Amino acid sequence: MEFSFQRLGALVRKETIQILRDRRFILLFLGLTFVQLFVYSYSASRTVYHMPMAVVDQSRDATSRAFIQALVNSQYFDDTLYLGSPAQAYQAIDRSQVKASLIIPPGFAANARAGLASFLILLDGSDQFAVSSGYSAAGLVAQSFGLQLSAESVIRSGAVPPAANGSLPINLSTDILYNPDLNDRWFVIPGIIGMILQTLAVEQAAIFLVRDREWGTLEQILASPVRQLELILSKLIPLAVLCLLALGMCMGLGIFWFGVPFQGNLFLFFWLALLFISSCLGLGVLISTRAHTQFEAEASAMIFMLFGLLLSGLFYPRVGMPLVPRLIGDLVPLTYFIQISRGIYLKGIGMNFLWSDALILVIYTLVVVLVASRRFKMRLD
Amino acid sequence: MLRRLWALTQKEFIQLLRFPLAMIGFTVGPALELILFAVAIHSGVSHLPMVVSDQSQSAASQAYIGAFTNSGSFDILAAYPDQAGVVRAIDSGQASLGLVIPANFADQVSQGDASVLMLVDGSNSFVTQSASASAAAISQQFAAGLAHMSLGALDAHIQILYNPDLQDLWFLVPAFGAFLLYGIALKLTAFSIVRERESGTIEALLVTPIQPIELMLAKMIPNLCIAILDMVLTFSIGMLIFGVPFRGSLLLFSVLACLFAVGSLGLGLAISSISQSQVQANQLATLMNIAVMFLSGFMFPVYGLPALLRLLGYSMPMTFFLPIVNGIITKGIGIQDLWPSVLSLAALTVAIFFIGAQLFRQKLD
Repeated sequence: MEFSFQRLGALVRKETIQILRDRRFILLFLGLTFVQLFVYSYSASRTVYHMPMAVVDQSRDATSRAFIQALVNSQYFDDTLYLGSPAQAYQAIDRSQVKASLIIPPGFAANARAGLASFLILLDGSDQFAVSSGYSAAGLVAQSFGLQLSAESVIRSGAVPPAANGSLPINLSTDILYNPDLNDRWFVIPGIIGMILQTLAVEQAAIFLVRDREWGTLEQILASPVRQLELILSKLIPLAVLCLLALGMCMGLGIFWFGVPFQGNLFLFFWLALLFISSCLGLGVLISTRAHTQFEAEASAMIFMLFGLLLSGLFYPRVGMPLVPRLIGDLVPLTYFIQISRGIYLKGIGMNFLWSDALILVIYTLVVVLVASRRFKMRLD
Repeated sequence: MLRRLWALTQKEFIQLLRFPLAMIGFTVGPALELILFAVAIHSGVSHLPMVVSDQSQSAASQAYIGAFTNSGSFDILAAYPDQAGVVRAIDSGQASLGLVIPANFADQVSQGDASVLMLVDGSNSFVTQSASASAAAISQQFAAGLAHMSLGALDAHIQILYNPDLQDLWFLVPAFGAFLLYGIALKLTAFSIVRERESGTIEALLVTPIQPIELMLAKMIPNLCIAILDMVLTFSIGMLIFGVPFRGSLLLFSVLACLFAVGSLGLGLAISSISQSQVQANQLATLMNIAVMFLSGFMFPVYGLPALLRLLGYSMPMTFFLPIVNGIITKGIGIQDLWPSVLSLAALTVAIFFIGAQLFRQKLD
């Protein structure tokens, strides 16, 4: 029996009606997308500002106060607690009252004039976010404060300052490309859109195909003259439309609500996103051929979601990953789409830079669909 | 009554074990994931790809570039004659940072007034962003050295308590174990009632003299066992293979972990009771899992969230359990310092479990 578009059309209509009748499913599908985008975009930031800090100032002079003020002015630390002894400073961290403690020993101003001043900052090493923000912030503030002290003492000693205004001989100006204000949301949103789409597409495709077997409705389909490819496509086409709808919603929110400007070619983005969605749906079909129940299908789809979250370069850089995790990340379609999405959305680059990622996605889709259709059995057992 | 409960629990165990693929996914999977992520995830700045355009080609510029490579934070991949080449390398994603040194750099340095341009890929990860801060620090240090200005005028001692070498795993393992305990208990329970309803076996159970509370417990006990097994496996791997320390009281931890697990079982029960199909249960459970990952302090700091999301975060038991896990395992502190978190956790757990049990009972009637 030949592949028939007419039969496919009828089947797609049946699936669409089935989806449209289950209004709760559509609401959940689009609602989930909406909620996920909001939650991820607003929460995905690792920089910690206004960390509560305990201060033990044993000097109580102008210089020590200036240094405390410099730390507070950096926006990273708040001087929430003033304590009397270093032991209390350790305790405050033990009790999780503060994330950091600053201990300034006696004679800070006098030592600073002699170029011998020192201080101690304690960081709560059980909180990775406080540590990573606090460590670099404290280091930077101390460095620039120390330079200021040093420049003051050079000027005071009557020597010629290093430059006319006492500044450093090399001035490094940093230009952040594509995201000048270093807004976390700008780089999070294009990747998040990919992750939401992948999760939806893989999971739903796998569950849709397993469902018929579990519900026993496969029997009826088997009794009809429907071909295997027609059956698979009829399930995937409505899902692909839903995914595109979700994509459109995410893009609209990203551009108009979150204000992340779209730099590239919308047309190109649409086609590559469709390619990405196809590869994810294909992956879902492949999973469905291994799973007997929706439960198993879902468990396997979750693994791809986790891999996507952690190994695709979404939040953690792929540079420097060891070989095995990098290879596993290579098996996740999101890894390639993140390059495409960030590239078109933020950088505004075109196919001349993205052709390799697009080509891999094409090959990926073909391989997955081929393997899946070989494994897909239209049998009851 | 206990005999009936035992028989029912056995039935649930047998049913669970009948899905070998899922069972492997729920027990061995998490352990493999931990090992994988343990070696994959680095939050520190090291060996980031960098390109340069050294138009000066002088001793001064080479020394300056050397300061970057010697720091271990950056690897110089390629050199380009002009700024356009550097931008192209960042466009293509080949490099995360680019350094552009002008032709008159050496002269400018001797006059004490050189300027250098650093280009940073702002479309990439969090690490790239903190890399620009460390690049600025390296440059400042080098420049201060040239000017014979001492940065030692202020001697900064930064001490990181509990985790002095900043081992990523010491952060990852306790939190991941807690997350598994939560996620597995929730997922397994969320499917429990809905599956019986979908396969039509709930009717058969309802006509037997089984009490709702017995059925509920029988559904929960096997799930609790698997979830605890997962957590023990995670911690064993973390401690034995990766050398993560366990500093506090194991007994206190076990008690609080069970309390926490009961909360996720209750949440799973609630999801299972309100869902009409396995597909719906799965969607709700996935949503809850992800929300917890993002809002409870697992992937991102909870105190950095906007007010509304922070409120949502504080309605999750995980938000209070993570400080307990970190407190007991990493800090080695006891109940006298942890009681505020413990009280909040207990209150939330009781509330969630009560709601779950209530919904479950309604569903059975």
